[in-house]
Amino acid sequence: MTDVHGIVYAYHSSPALGDLTRSRTNASLPFAGRYRLIDFALSSLSNAGVRDVGVIMQRDFQSLLDHVAGGKAWDISRRRGGLKLLPPFGTHHVGEYAGTAEALNAVMGYVKDIPQEHIVLIPADVLCNVDIAALVEQHVKSGCGITAVCTKNNPTAVHYRLTQKADGKVEKVLFHQVGAGEGLAAMEIYVAKKDTLLELLAHCEAENRFHFHKDCLAHYLEQGGEMDVFLYDGYTTRIDSVDDYYRASMDMLKAGPRADLFPTDRPVRTKERSDVSTYYGEDAKVENSLIADGCFIEGTVKNCVLFRGVRVAPGAVLENCIVMQDTVIGEGAALKYIISDKNVEIAPYVTLTGGEKLPLVLPKRSKL
Amino acid sequence: MLLAGGQGSRLYALTAKVAKPNMPFGGKYRIIDFPLSNCANSGIDTVGVLTQYQPLRLNRYVGSGQPWDLDTEDGGVYILPPYQSAGEKGSWFSGTANAIYQNMDFIEMYDPDHVLILSGDHVYKMDYAKMLRAHQEAEAACTIAVIQVSMEEATRFGIMNLGPDGFINEFEEKPAHPKSDLASMGIYIFDWKKLRKYLIEDENDPNSSKDFGKNIIPKMLAGGEKLMPYRFEGYWRDVGTITSLWDANMDMLSNTKLNLFDPQWPIRARSPIRPPHFAGEGARIHHSIVTEGCDIDGKVDNSVLSASVTVGSGAKISYSILMPGAVVEPGAVVEYAIIGENARICAGAHVGTEPDGSESWGVATVGPDVTVGPGVSVPASAMIYDSSEVQS
Repeated sequence: MTDVHGIVYAYHSSPALGDLTRSRTNASLPFAGRYRLIDFALSSLSNAGVRDVGVIMQRDFQSLLDHVAGGKAWDISRRRGGLKLLPPFGTHHVGEYAGTAEALNAVMGYVKDIPQEHIVLIPADVLCNVDIAALVEQHVKSGCGITAVCTKNNPTAVHYRLTQKADGKVEKVLFHQVGAGEGLAAMEIYVAKKDTLLELLAHCEAENRFHFHKDCLAHYLEQGGEMDVFLYDGYTTRIDSVDDYYRASMDMLKAGPRADLFPTDRPVRTKERSDVSTYYGEDAKVENSLIADGCFIEGTVKNCVLFRGVRVAPGAVLENCIVMQDTVIGEGAALKYIISDKNVEIAPYVTLTGGEKLPLVLPKRSKL
Repeated sequence: MLLAGGQGSRLYALTAKVAKPNMPFGGKYRIIDFPLSNCANSGIDTVGVLTQYQPLRLNRYVGSGQPWDLDTEDGGVYILPPYQSAGEKGSWFSGTANAIYQNMDFIEMYDPDHVLILSGDHVYKMDYAKMLRAHQEAEAACTIAVIQVSMEEATRFGIMNLGPDGFINEFEEKPAHPKSDLASMGIYIFDWKKLRKYLIEDENDPNSSKDFGKNIIPKMLAGGEKLMPYRFEGYWRDVGTITSLWDANMDMLSNTKLNLFDPQWPIRARSPIRPPHFAGEGARIHHSIVTEGCDIDGKVDNSVLSASVTVGSGAKISYSILMPGAVVEPGAVVEYAIIGENARICAGAHVGTEPDGSESWGVATVGPDVTVGPGVSVPASAMIYDSSEVQS
């Protein structure tokens, strides 16, 4: 798809993710055994044939840089164009960007130079696998300046919402973030004509405004702009807190959400690690769990997500846990409702119990 | 130069459509991953892969060489099929030596001092750089990697006999009465100028079968060249038969045979891009290898599962090898069997049997893309090429 450009917002770190984003942004949060959240956005763009992608980052991006590198894993490492990592230009921004409009204005030089007619805007921390090709096709056909991706699923979560007119186009943007009720939940994924986007961003810059919803979309509709709605009916959720993260991870143990996020015709790509296949020992007991390559399992694992290279010693029992890569669980240890970050070491016979409503997070490289 | 053109005819249905180096192995690997990873780990960045038999899937698998970090700007991995030159008809590779002879121009482009010849049919980890150092220190014309085998096994290999100086003085192909237990591993380092001379000489010999073991090595010995054995200690297996393929896969269940977890010597493979494997409520997995993309809801023991294998609820897999995309439907039983890529074992079918001690017992093999119909039994030692053989 040569007339489409992708921009991924990867600068945000949610305070409610606590230790999980202490040294990374939401975008590089490990997920589902072998992925980082940004893999879903990059793969969706790549699967639609989008080859030019800008990734907006701002701080704490060491882990993100390491993961994304040149974009080779997503086939967006190109001689011309391809992946561009966009740290802030200049130093006048203090603190995190207040909104995506501010983030886009901070990299305005890049946005202006985009050669394509349409731009897909997609946050790195919304879990979904949207058919971007279908989205763009509908957008171009509609003739609208902007198309919003919305969902009827996940009705309890807090979202910006849009209401529709009789013809299906957007009537108005609801400014308050509300749960189930009026309108459709916006997934904060948009495709916009470049010209339309530039006008709206110029408006924000002139009036010192930062928020895409309130300041761009509402303004666009007030000016008589037409906005279309693209309905996504697969699994989606935004990862903004430890609770979101834990629930979404456990959802990956269900066949439906797993099939929605990992369809065979729109594969999710990630940085490869060359792990060996997972080995199950003589006394391994594993059920209802998602297990990546490179694990060595000799204990009991139930309702868990195990990332690459996790070792579970004999007699260890893991229940309802998320265990990130290269964590070692000692003999006879017993863990329940634990989220272990990377490279954690659990000594033999350690017992740790969190709760379903409050899973316990073990920071990266902890030794217990 | 990696010789990957062999058919592997003793693997029958498994290699009817793919070359042996492309055979899935040990869960996430294919056999060619071992020599390619060894090259990359040894610091060799220019590799020619000589293909001939059923090359299409192998070509696609090797691709740009990126999984092995062999996609370098000046060098990398090159697929070398037989080709035609101006004024000539072009011909198939008629032997291992002829394959290299036909690609002498490729080698000359890099003007090398030494050439490493490898075979794409073996499972092992080896540092070729160490072997090259030994070759250079001995100032040998050719260094041949050898492994000690039992005297009984020696009759199945090319055997090197050594003189009192420790150099090779005789080569015997599958001798009935072996004089030594040092078997050639099919890994050679040659001084390129000397090899070039012998390749041309051998090509002009109408009685030669154009083979390294049978022709080039004896000719070099007769020419008084220094041929050095390089002793290799460690795991090395030729996986040319159904039994040896099954055995070697079973070896992967034991980390003491070939440690694939070693971060110092990673074996790399092209990944199928699938999510982690899922072990369901009904999964009972013991002493087995399972790869990403699998979906398991049955019992699995003493088995090796490649990527994207499905095991339905109540199905039972024992002492078996399931290649990528194989599907075992609910209630089916697979024991002592090799199931080819994308084969389907329908509900209630039964493939293979436990060893019964009889001479005729063997591992059952279901070829790629074959569907074994519902309730059908496939006996031990069977070799199924086509679905029509196993519909109820």
